[in-house]
Amino acid sequence: MASVPLLEADDLAVRYPNGELALHNVTFQIESPSFMAIIGPNGSGKSTLVKTFLGLIKPFKGHIKVNGYDSVKNSGKIRKIVRYVPQRDRIELTVPMKVKDIVLMGRLLKKLPPRFASSKDIQRAEEALEQVDMGDLWDRPFPELSGGQRQRVLVARALASEGSILVLDEPLAGTDVESQDLIVEALGRYHKENDVSIVMVTHDLNPIHTLVQDVLLLKNTVIGIGEPCTIMDPDLMKKVYGPTARIVEYSGHRYCMTRDSGIDRHD
Amino acid sequence: MIEIIQLILDSPFLQRAIIASILIAIVAAASGTFMVFRGLSFMAAGVAHAALGGTALGIFLQDTGLVPWFNPILGALLFSVLVAVFTGYAGESGITQKMEVAVGVSFALSMSIAVFLMYYIPPYRVPQIWGYLIGDILLLNNLDVIMLASTAVLLGFITLMFNKEFVYVSVDMEGSVAHGMNARAYHYLMLIISALAIALATKAVGAILVYAVMVAPAAAANELVRSIRGIIFAVFAIALVAELVGLVASFVVFVSPSAIAGILAALSYLLALQIKRVRERVRVELDEVSIESQDVTMKQLITSVEHDDTHDH
Repeated sequence: MASVPLLEADDLAVRYPNGELALHNVTFQIESPSFMAIIGPNGSGKSTLVKTFLGLIKPFKGHIKVNGYDSVKNSGKIRKIVRYVPQRDRIELTVPMKVKDIVLMGRLLKKLPPRFASSKDIQRAEEALEQVDMGDLWDRPFPELSGGQRQRVLVARALASEGSILVLDEPLAGTDVESQDLIVEALGRYHKENDVSIVMVTHDLNPIHTLVQDVLLLKNTVIGIGEPCTIMDPDLMKKVYGPTARIVEYSGHRYCMTRDSGIDRHD
Repeated sequence: MIEIIQLILDSPFLQRAIIASILIAIVAAASGTFMVFRGLSFMAAGVAHAALGGTALGIFLQDTGLVPWFNPILGALLFSVLVAVFTGYAGESGITQKMEVAVGVSFALSMSIAVFLMYYIPPYRVPQIWGYLIGDILLLNNLDVIMLASTAVLLGFITLMFNKEFVYVSVDMEGSVAHGMNARAYHYLMLIISALAIALATKAVGAILVYAVMVAPAAAANELVRSIRGIIFAVFAIALVAELVGLVASFVVFVSPSAIAGILAALSYLLALQIKRVRERVRVELDEVSIESQDVTMKQLITSVEHDDTHDH
């Protein structure tokens, strides 16, 4: 029996809040389960695509399905199976949350009010923090952590939660190398040990190159889709990132060198 | 001490003032805390002035006989809810700056409506509009206290029930929605219930006291206390102390209790900023000391290694 695709977009078009066209003529299909990356330069519509399939933004045209559920009609069902890590700067630091409060959020959000944390919730949260080497910081105030540590806590929040699809928006942007390695390792391990799909938006494919199965290359529309090494094609990369993009081959894999910061927002 | 208790027992207006102080402190703890978390410290002032426009509309409708049963307080509540809805709409994406702009715009709009309507209501009723802002905690009647109590209880109950949701909405709106929480509903619930509480509290005890306890204690606590529950209790304590000291002071010297409470609350914030600065300085110094001591142990280590080397040879 053919399984339901993880993502299935059909002639999708989405606008930014300012009316500009973020995505157009997006049609693709990714089989489930997968560890997939959505890559592309700043402003290419990566985050917009994610927000659209989570039902946070309504498409302007066409539709997109997650596990067979339509992003508009069945957003409730999608949100039951999704765990989402937004871009780090989306997290407000004015509230004095502790690390444990953030991680427990992943579990409590899937419950109903009054959302009390059971001992199982706490145990899962602790285990998730261990995965990203943050076990000792359980009681530390979240706003006082470094950027990389905060990102690790957010990844732990997703690991602690439940649902068959993890969606991460730029989890490696602006983090130190140690945090990057820990996050990539934890995600790779989690994907291998559990029956989950991972969708990761990233401006830089290199750190996860050897882990991902499918890559979707975007520049406001689908430029390429396939395995990492097929996507790392010099012509494709130059088309998307401009003439300065270089492809480097190293131990049988192709890596791309760009000057992309990975930080973009469209409010 | 006994004299004071005797005085309180003998004067119902004092009893009402003390009860109102506690209730206002509850409103501040439940609502002010979350306003400051969301970066909406301006909202108390915005809602109170919006309610002014609503009062003007109520008087206009009553006086012209268009809607004779329309109590001005209904207008005040209606306008404050409208401000909350407008603010909520502007901030649906979770961006604070947009909400502040919405508060500013509705402030200006409702004041304009108030001034506009003042030309069409009889001059003797105009002071009633301004009177909305100038309550006095010593002049409350039983109805005021009952209204205030029901608001405070309702607000307290809702905050107790949904404090996690309110926090999640403040911290990560997008993530909360994506995980299946109806963040939008809680976002509006939080703003509307706060607006109602601010409007009723302003009517009862006056704008100055409401501003004073809605913002400054929460801001002060947020600088110093590192847990949400701790902040809520600290806000309650700071607000209550400021109000009670204000009441006592008004008996000793000829002064408005609200003014004293406002000054004390504002001072609490300045004090908190100062304490935080000193605390940080101490922490930096401690860090330097620990780095130095690490250096020392490193040096000792190196010298001991060197010693070992000489032994080997």
